[in-house]
Amino acid sequence: MRYLSALLGVSLSAWVLFAAETHTFSPAQKNFWAFRPIAKPAVPAVKNPKAAANPIDAFILARLDAKNLQPNARADKLTLLRRATVDMTGLPPTPDEIQQFLNDHSSNAWDKVVDRLLASPAYGERWGRHWLDVARYADSNGFKADETRPNIWRYRDYVIKAFNDDKPYDRFVKEQIAGDELYPNDPEALVAMGFNRHWIDETNAAALYTRRQETLDDMTTVTGVAFLGLTFGCARCHDHKFDPILTKDYYRLQAFFANTSFGDGPLPLKDPAERQKYQEQKAAWEEKTKDIRAEMAKLVQPLRASKIESGIKTFEADVQQAILMDPAQRNPMQAMMYHTAEPRITFDEEPDARTLRGLKGENGKRYQELKKQLAAFDSIRPAPLPEGQFMIDLGPNAPPTYILHGGSLDARGDEVQPGFLSILDPADAKITPPAGVNSTGRRSALAAWLTDPKNPLPARVMVNRIWHYHFGRGIVATPGDFGLMGARPTHPELLDYLASYFVENGWSMKKLHRLILTSNVYQQSSAFNEVAAEADPDDNLMWRYQRHRMEAEAVRDSMLDVSGLLNPKMGGPGVFPPLPPGVVTGLSATAAAGGWRQEKDPSNINRRSVYIFVRRNLRYPMLQEFDSANTFESCDFRKNTVTAPQSLDLLNNDLIIDWAQNFAGRVLNDSGLTPEAQVDRAFRLAYGRAATPEEQKMAADFLARQMPMMQERLAGGDQAKPPMPANVPPGINPARAAAFVDLSQMLLDSNEFLYIN
Amino acid sequence: MRVNHHWGVSNRREFFTRAGSGLAGIALASMLAEDGFAASADPLAPKPPQFPPKAKNVIWCFMEGGPSQVDLFDPKPELERLAGQPVPPSFHTDNLITAQGARPSDGLLPARRPFRQHGQSGLWVSEWLPNIAEMVDDIAVIRSCQSDAVNHVGGVCQMNTGTILAGRPSLGAWVMYGLGSARRDLPSFVVMQDDKEILGGVQNYSSGFLPATFQGTLFRQGDTPILNLKPPVGTTDAQERSKLDFLRQLNERFSRDKEDDTELDARTRSYELAYQMQSAAPEAVDLSQESDATKKLYGMDEPETSAYGSNCLLARRLVERGVRFVEVYSGSGSRWDAHSDLINNHTQNCRSMDKPVAGLLKDLKARGLLKDTLVVWGGEFGRTPFAQIGAGAPPERYGRDHNPWGFTMWMAGGGVKGGQTIGTTDEIGLRAVDEPHHVWDVHASILYLLGLDHLRVTYQHNGRAERPTVTGGKLIPKLWT
Repeated sequence: MRYLSALLGVSLSAWVLFAAETHTFSPAQKNFWAFRPIAKPAVPAVKNPKAAANPIDAFILARLDAKNLQPNARADKLTLLRRATVDMTGLPPTPDEIQQFLNDHSSNAWDKVVDRLLASPAYGERWGRHWLDVARYADSNGFKADETRPNIWRYRDYVIKAFNDDKPYDRFVKEQIAGDELYPNDPEALVAMGFNRHWIDETNAAALYTRRQETLDDMTTVTGVAFLGLTFGCARCHDHKFDPILTKDYYRLQAFFANTSFGDGPLPLKDPAERQKYQEQKAAWEEKTKDIRAEMAKLVQPLRASKIESGIKTFEADVQQAILMDPAQRNPMQAMMYHTAEPRITFDEEPDARTLRGLKGENGKRYQELKKQLAAFDSIRPAPLPEGQFMIDLGPNAPPTYILHGGSLDARGDEVQPGFLSILDPADAKITPPAGVNSTGRRSALAAWLTDPKNPLPARVMVNRIWHYHFGRGIVATPGDFGLMGARPTHPELLDYLASYFVENGWSMKKLHRLILTSNVYQQSSAFNEVAAEADPDDNLMWRYQRHRMEAEAVRDSMLDVSGLLNPKMGGPGVFPPLPPGVVTGLSATAAAGGWRQEKDPSNINRRSVYIFVRRNLRYPMLQEFDSANTFESCDFRKNTVTAPQSLDLLNNDLIIDWAQNFAGRVLNDSGLTPEAQVDRAFRLAYGRAATPEEQKMAADFLARQMPMMQERLAGGDQAKPPMPANVPPGINPARAAAFVDLSQMLLDSNEFLYIN
Repeated sequence: MRVNHHWGVSNRREFFTRAGSGLAGIALASMLAEDGFAASADPLAPKPPQFPPKAKNVIWCFMEGGPSQVDLFDPKPELERLAGQPVPPSFHTDNLITAQGARPSDGLLPARRPFRQHGQSGLWVSEWLPNIAEMVDDIAVIRSCQSDAVNHVGGVCQMNTGTILAGRPSLGAWVMYGLGSARRDLPSFVVMQDDKEILGGVQNYSSGFLPATFQGTLFRQGDTPILNLKPPVGTTDAQERSKLDFLRQLNERFSRDKEDDTELDARTRSYELAYQMQSAAPEAVDLSQESDATKKLYGMDEPETSAYGSNCLLARRLVERGVRFVEVYSGSGSRWDAHSDLINNHTQNCRSMDKPVAGLLKDLKARGLLKDTLVVWGGEFGRTPFAQIGAGAPPERYGRDHNPWGFTMWMAGGGVKGGQTIGTTDEIGLRAVDEPHHVWDVHASILYLLGLDHLRVTYQHNGRAERPTVTGGKLIPKLWT
């Protein structure tokens, strides 16, 4: 203890104070805005009521009025359509969609656009990706081995579908925190439990207690930040230095997960009748094949024994004991250790070919015979259930949770029970074990608190996230930190109004989107205004829309879309578009993990970016270049960098050239042969508008410059030949066609394409 | 969109401007004023050091896998005396957990090669390193380094990022964040491998929570060290130039009514930088410009030393051109990991590294670059003084297990006072006893030599002002005084 005091630099008496049962919070802490109850504020009066399309505008205008500032006028229709289409779907509007909107002079033309965008399946792909950032989604374990998580993609598909179905956010949270307890037998809710399956994991770690603690720390930190917008992680080692989050609260939150671990395996069938049918078929098959399988099991028993023998040596003595003891005698912690160790000491009922190589001579032969006999019953065997990766409790009794001083397993303090933030509710949480589920019920209690309208944080945090993705900046500029060190809301009343609106409208995200999209503040232009900029250079008062670069996925998807290459197929396992030469070296190519495999189906190469396999140790380079989410922890907002490697990518990457070839081919094939019509078509596809006379001249000059150079390259050897447009129609001068590829590429690389205005 | 006050690049600036009134605002305001890291539209723009630096560049020779301190720089006569005997109880090894289970009772293993004193300073170096031995008067040997990691992935990660868990920025990224980049047409933080991929891969040169701009660039072998560096085959310079001119025209037209937005301009300029990089990077890695004598100095004329030698020479060419932080891995993919047959392992690894590293020091010195260039040598940890005995292995094939409790690193150049040893391990070389120095101390000292205070290079992340040394770090002033 003396050592501990020295380590922490506090006197022992101070430490005892920390550990005291009751902690008093200062009035300033209690009155801190984020912890105050949400009260729906009255919509303020504004100088010019006509300028308010809905209550959002009133809140914005009231602040501008106070400073005598004017909001910008509405953006032009094309800018608006492009802004909203990329925002809601991650793709640019098509020329037809643009034409339709420009020609629609009805009073509800914009509402129709909003409805169409909200109904588009691409909405889920775009907004689901935002949530995947928060959930630190990845398809692999991380660490050295970085093995593939073969079934975790179902979680990604679940998220996309949840957004498209407008699943109420409270239900969405409940499924991700306690889907296994609250909705047993619902495969979707079980897949949702993949939310906490995304921790980084060193599966061959020798120290299992440490490995489990790291899992718990990950779940605690991410739950705190994702749903509560609080940096709980700071309280792991000491009481939070700025926010009223006690170390005790960190471990109280952690205690909800004390008995939670991976539950990877078959997913149940949703329909009870089908589920029963499956059980009956399986039972019948098991009965008929009982003897064969028993003999097979007997044959592989020595292999199994030797795997246990060799596997067990790698663990600590306590863990070895937990493995070897009578399962019925294991306490919850021993059961947890056994469960964690299990993948390294067992194998499937039907072992893989590599394992079976250990079966020599007669036994090997006999095993193969039995396998054939077993296969004869395949006709009555039910089709295997889809497999998922998710979290479950290991049983009704959880191992105890202790405060760990300094976050260290060796410095165990008092035991704590599951509980919420002491400043909001100092009592232990009331836990009711769920009926009919072999689980503690702890996470059901947590899910109820995380969706309780009286909890001041969850609704505020989620509406702020939604606002953040629409505008590039939240009402609270730090979506993952509503604490003292985070930003204060620029419009606290608006935040509370939206949070109340959200809850009143059944936690519907689409209703909230509609309210935001139909506000004037969303539709105003990004133009500069000297007076407003002088008074409010950061645009905190939102007198204009903030221009911004498209995010990584939108950049890639929009380029594929304009090139006519985008494969809109939804869902399924992650895909592997090609890597630039030189990315895969040494271990990453040969890792047991599978490295980056070559995509067998070429159409998969051009799927939307949300479906690209997320390998933690090898983020897809083009996306990483443009600041895609770091998957090691929850990502609240993307960085926005401007770098030379991004430009190298857009200039030289073979894929960009391929897209430019297809873009050029698309233009040359459907715009006739007049040079102006071709340029016009290219501008329409890239920017959604015709080329101006000035641009026509710029393009004509450029093509005239490139053509002789292309002529020369065409006359040269194979190495010199320029990339040609895909499917060039007859009758086009090849040099001009080749020059058109350059023109197409530069349109894709230009700011008007990359920026949302 | 970035105007005079932009958002989205610097959390720090944003926190300050948005923190509102109250104490937090004041505290942050003073932090901003102190550290001088107020945001600029260009995160890589050169920034002045916080105080006069002793070094401008770092070349880190990283011996991946863990070289054995008791066989290379930390002679222990006691190991001769107690050869084959269990570690005496006075060393309290009952609770020692080793990575692969080597036991203190397996017997102490004397140095596998004799040590001799060298130079004016008389520093002890193993026979395995005859070339580095010639340079000892320029070298400060720290014999008392400590890490938290028992295994490689955690160890390499901590030596690079400060913690054994992935996700934090590496030291090179912090340096770029703190000092910016002197040369904009070359990446400023470069990593080179001589064998397999570094264990843990990109996590070791990641920008972590800092903007991606600060991530290290892994140089690939050959004449195109950077991804997407080469224009598509057959593209002529005139064609490329003309494309970029057209692009600039498009962008200028788009920006015409958006002149307040500096980000649009930055992106236009980034294409010009990319264009310059296309010629600057291949020039920087073009070793054919070096004389035969120079190549020979690095051992490029011998098969055993040519791989590491050419990377060391490349490192010199890069710092010469203003690249700030270069990591040159020897035995990348953990080749120094001598659990068995240490004699064979260290014979080969020392052979491949000794001449190139010594050549690097000599070359830097001859060109007047050593005074500005800090050369760091070391692995992620050292090795146990007791043997790791493989099943049925004869004593000459014994190895050693991992030892994070007391191991050797050294530094030279960049203001470092050579010809000295710092700290000591116990009589058998198991644990640091005098002046123990955690990885964080090493990081803090490297930053100090570059003119940065490790406590004041901070970045606001998840509510904490994060710094390179996590929660620790004390300087090792003996290095420069």
